Amino acid sequence: MTETVLRRGAERRKSTIDLRALSPFIALVALAIAGALINPDFLTASNILNVVTRSAFIAIIAVGATFVISAGGLDLSVGSMAALTAGVMILTLNSLSGADMSTIAIGMLAALALGAMCGLANGLIVTFGRIEPFIVTLGTMGIFRSLVVWLAAGGTITLRNFELRELYRPVYFGSVFGIPVPIIAFLVVAAIGALILYRTSFGRHVVALGSNEDVARYSGVPIWRVRTLTYVIQGICVGIAVLVYVPRLGSATPTTGLLWELQAITAVVIGGTALKGGVGRVWGTVVGAVILELVANIMVLSNFVSEFLVGAVQGAIIIIAMLVQRSVHRGR
Amino acid sequence: MDSVLRAENISKSFGPIEVLSGISLDLQPGEVHAVIGENGAGKSTLMRILSGHIAPTKGSLYLGGQPITFSGPVDAESHGIVLVHQEILLAEDLTVAQNLFLGREIKRFGLVNDRIMRERTRGILAELGTRIDPDCEVRRLSIADRQLVQIARALLVPHKIVAFDEPTAVLTPVEAESLFAIIRKLRSHGVAVLYISHRLNEVKAIADRVTVLRDGRHIATRGIEGLEPLEMARLMVGRDMSKLYPDKPSTISEHVILSVRDMVVPGYVENASFTLRRGEILGFGGLIGAGRTELFEGLVGLRSCQGRITLRGESVHFRDAREAMAAGIVYLSEDRKGKGLLLQQNLRVNLSLAALDRFSRGPFIDVGAEEQALDEAIRNFDIRTRSRDLLAGQLSGGNQQKLLLAKMMMLNPRIIIIDEPTRGVDIGTKEQIYRFVAQLAEDGLSVVVISSEMQELIGLCHRVVVMRNGHVAGEVSQADLSEDSIVYLATGVHEERAAEIAAGHA
Amino acid sequence: MKAALLKVALATGLMAGVATGATAQQKNVTIAVSIPAATHGWTGGVVYHAQETAKQLEKGYPGLKVIVKTSPDGAAQANALDDLMAQRVDALVVLPFNSDELTDPVREVKKRGTFVTVVDRGLKDPSIQDIYVAGNNAEFGRVAGKYFVDNLKEGNVVVLRGIPTVIDEERVSNFEKALEGSGVKVIDKQYANWNRDDAFKVMQDFLSKHPKLDAVWASDDDMALGVLEAIRQAKREDIKFVLGGAGMKDMIKKVMDSDKMIPANVSYPPSMISTAMGVTAAHFYTNAPMRGTYTLDAQLITKDNAQEHYFPDSPF
Repeated sequence: MTETVLRRGAERRKSTIDLRALSPFIALVALAIAGALINPDFLTASNILNVVTRSAFIAIIAVGATFVISAGGLDLSVGSMAALTAGVMILTLNSLSGADMSTIAIGMLAALALGAMCGLANGLIVTFGRIEPFIVTLGTMGIFRSLVVWLAAGGTITLRNFELRELYRPVYFGSVFGIPVPIIAFLVVAAIGALILYRTSFGRHVVALGSNEDVARYSGVPIWRVRTLTYVIQGICVGIAVLVYVPRLGSATPTTGLLWELQAITAVVIGGTALKGGVGRVWGTVVGAVILELVANIMVLSNFVSEFLVGAVQGAIIIIAMLVQRSVHRGR
Repeated sequence: MDSVLRAENISKSFGPIEVLSGISLDLQPGEVHAVIGENGAGKSTLMRILSGHIAPTKGSLYLGGQPITFSGPVDAESHGIVLVHQEILLAEDLTVAQNLFLGREIKRFGLVNDRIMRERTRGILAELGTRIDPDCEVRRLSIADRQLVQIARALLVPHKIVAFDEPTAVLTPVEAESLFAIIRKLRSHGVAVLYISHRLNEVKAIADRVTVLRDGRHIATRGIEGLEPLEMARLMVGRDMSKLYPDKPSTISEHVILSVRDMVVPGYVENASFTLRRGEILGFGGLIGAGRTELFEGLVGLRSCQGRITLRGESVHFRDAREAMAAGIVYLSEDRKGKGLLLQQNLRVNLSLAALDRFSRGPFIDVGAEEQALDEAIRNFDIRTRSRDLLAGQLSGGNQQKLLLAKMMMLNPRIIIIDEPTRGVDIGTKEQIYRFVAQLAEDGLSVVVISSEMQELIGLCHRVVVMRNGHVAGEVSQADLSEDSIVYLATGVHEERAAEIAAGHA
Repeated sequence: MKAALLKVALATGLMAGVATGATAQQKNVTIAVSIPAATHGWTGGVVYHAQETAKQLEKGYPGLKVIVKTSPDGAAQANALDDLMAQRVDALVVLPFNSDELTDPVREVKKRGTFVTVVDRGLKDPSIQDIYVAGNNAEFGRVAGKYFVDNLKEGNVVVLRGIPTVIDEERVSNFEKALEGSGVKVIDKQYANWNRDDAFKVMQDFLSKHPKLDAVWASDDDMALGVLEAIRQAKREDIKFVLGGAGMKDMIKKVMDSDKMIPANVSYPPSMISTAMGVTAAHFYTNAPMRGTYTLDAQLITKDNAQEHYFPDSPF
């Protein structure tokens, strides 16, 4: 191997664009072109906005999952956590008498607080119980899910106050300068997430922990605190997702958030984050979430895929998207 | 005498980079032929070409005078060329016998015949002078025994040429001595042995001829007669290496900065006590497994421990490495790849990891300051890298060690504990590291050097504490420093006796 | 007709029990009830009705013990049956997750001499059961289809299917059969998993894809709620109505209140579990042994009869 002493100042920063970080965007564009060819209605503004808006919940949750996974962890409980948080938020709103902004603010605070608490519980058990996160969050997944079923007595938790619903509704259906609120919400969450992951010591510690726990420990990284905090961030992201979710249908059911954990993990991986930890790509994650929703949309819009085969085609498209990404990496 | 294997004008390129150019080498039956060179000189590449793992870009091989090309390692093996790898490549959960015959199981009626394989394993291990149980799972064996199993596996194939790639890297001196006995036995049977190492004393002891490589080129091939390690080093590095060790700094003061009393690390260390002075380089010697690493990991809070630690007159106890760092003590792990550096991250991220607070402006990391620090580290520590965007894992061992040093020096420590500072580091970089360590002491810092290389302890340290089986066995002052005194404390027996034990073992 | 018959049977059973409760011989009977866990609005209703009925029956028949056990999936239900049998029960009321998986486990129960009542989803071997209380999925689809033919006459409709199961297949195929020969055409159908969120998404996409739609068969009230929200967001005026199904109380309320978009519903009452438990108890406490098949017809619920199907206390 020829190694040359690098002179100071020579070749400062790299100017080439990192193709690895770009590949989810390429996959997104390719899918969009495919969608347009399959059905011209695909490219209508309303359809595109629908799809991106719908991806908001998964995108926001997946931003949190990016932290957990970058740090070498895993959280399977997010779907159940979302259902529980939504249920408790609605029950809180139902128990309050007023129908003004402050009522909604209290409900929102309740949702965020509960999300953070659930995340903290996951984090503490994983960190101090020294149990595999897969098992811990599988357990809390069941606990959260049961709690919401119990709260709903097997039925549906519905926002009773009609005025409150109408007041809150624009948080999903409204838009600012033509951009739907949920899209703004997930862009803001992603921007903050990217800032934390890329630009703060905590973010650096997350990546270090995911790359190699021993190195992080020997380098004086407070690994217990960092690991616990990733789960708390995940919980807060679930809380934020719920803030956008509740105004859509105004209800939480035992099937709310079912399989969201897998969608969030898929979005994270499509986005280029390594499942074994050590690499985190927040913007890729957001694109991954949009890709997932886009694939489902194209399936419904297409006329030639039997409804019986939708799942198979979706799975195949996701695998092909990953293969394309991999080949982009190798060709580098 | 006719050569058994001859390489003529071998070159090898990976893409545009030529790692070997025009190497010629001939190997004769019944000789031990050492190939030496710094890391990156092309030793391993040459070894892999000779054993069929990769094909040369140019040049040709002759086996017994006939030109030959190998389609792969299996093909080379079928021609009697076997390679004993540097890393232990065994399946830990399988037994010794199962490992020996992995991929070439003896079968009867389509089923594996364990009885025959077990007997043949026992036979071949006995030939190597060891009584390892063929039914023992490999994970229960010591590193040295695993190395023996690996050798046994290689020798299972009918062989004319055996190549050893840095075989003693994981062995203690006594274990290494029994390996040499095996090599001598192979030689006496007319087998040609190719021996790669950068431990020059070993080469002097075992080799008949020595080939020196530098930067992928053939520098010299000489008989061992009259070729001293110092001369080998000069040939390897290309400059005079008589002054490998710098002068010991005279800055050592009587001022005790750190004192450790009755330190216990459960399962590893019992009642260890020592003191460290300002401006001192304190060596820690002993055999692998004596508890040196664990003692210091306990000290800096990486393991649970009990004991009285007094730092600058104050009693302290660190719960994690962070607290130790805050108190000015850093520990550089012997396991650079596993515990020192993030191999998958770039140099900048690695450099600043332990001292991120220094690079923070408000809540955010100042990447500009990081880049500047990297520039300085590359300059001050002479880190040689093709590009500053390289990942830490892509650096050579020596440059990784320099990067790790630079990383820990970011913390401005007062006490630096370096575990095996030159393991896997080539001789040119060794010299740089020694000079750097001496400079630290001269600047008034205190350094602890844990090393299994006795020459290093003797050449570098003011004082050497020797551990044995978790206890401090004794201390050797500067005036009394010698291999003999260290080995005596480390093993509890004098060197002649140790050699006898080794001989009896073989 | 049949439904009426059943009501009579149920009523007599209950009445007989209550009437003879004090005087009848003190008889110790244990009935085990194995049902799916409340993972969906309808099964939530089943759990609610099962628990309510258990309380009522225990009050009505002294010496009767009812054990209600819910299971999250078919395999868990098979295990639950084993556990229940270990407690020596006299009768089993079971709403199986699916026919294939649970036929053999229930057969084992029957072999031990236990009285078996099967609810809703039939076993593959009908000889196992003593009583079969069936929801009529074919009828559910047919009634819905007939409503479209009668009220829409002609036009384009989209269908949201549930989870790919025999139930869903029976409903949808009979719905389409009922439309045959009429002017009503199904122009698109997709699975939405009996889930509100999925139904919302699928409906959004249907609306993007089809600029003109006349009506939607959501085939389930949970899904109908998601559909309504998607239509409201798109501000589409072309859709005349949405037909759900299963009689969720919120939807029945809308029918009662003459909601323009929800003019009707099709019943598939989760209270069928109550019926099954009632007749099973009656078998032990009255002199008339109860055997045979009771089919609950899917009924069209309109403003006229909505009051009968409205249970404000049920979670469903």
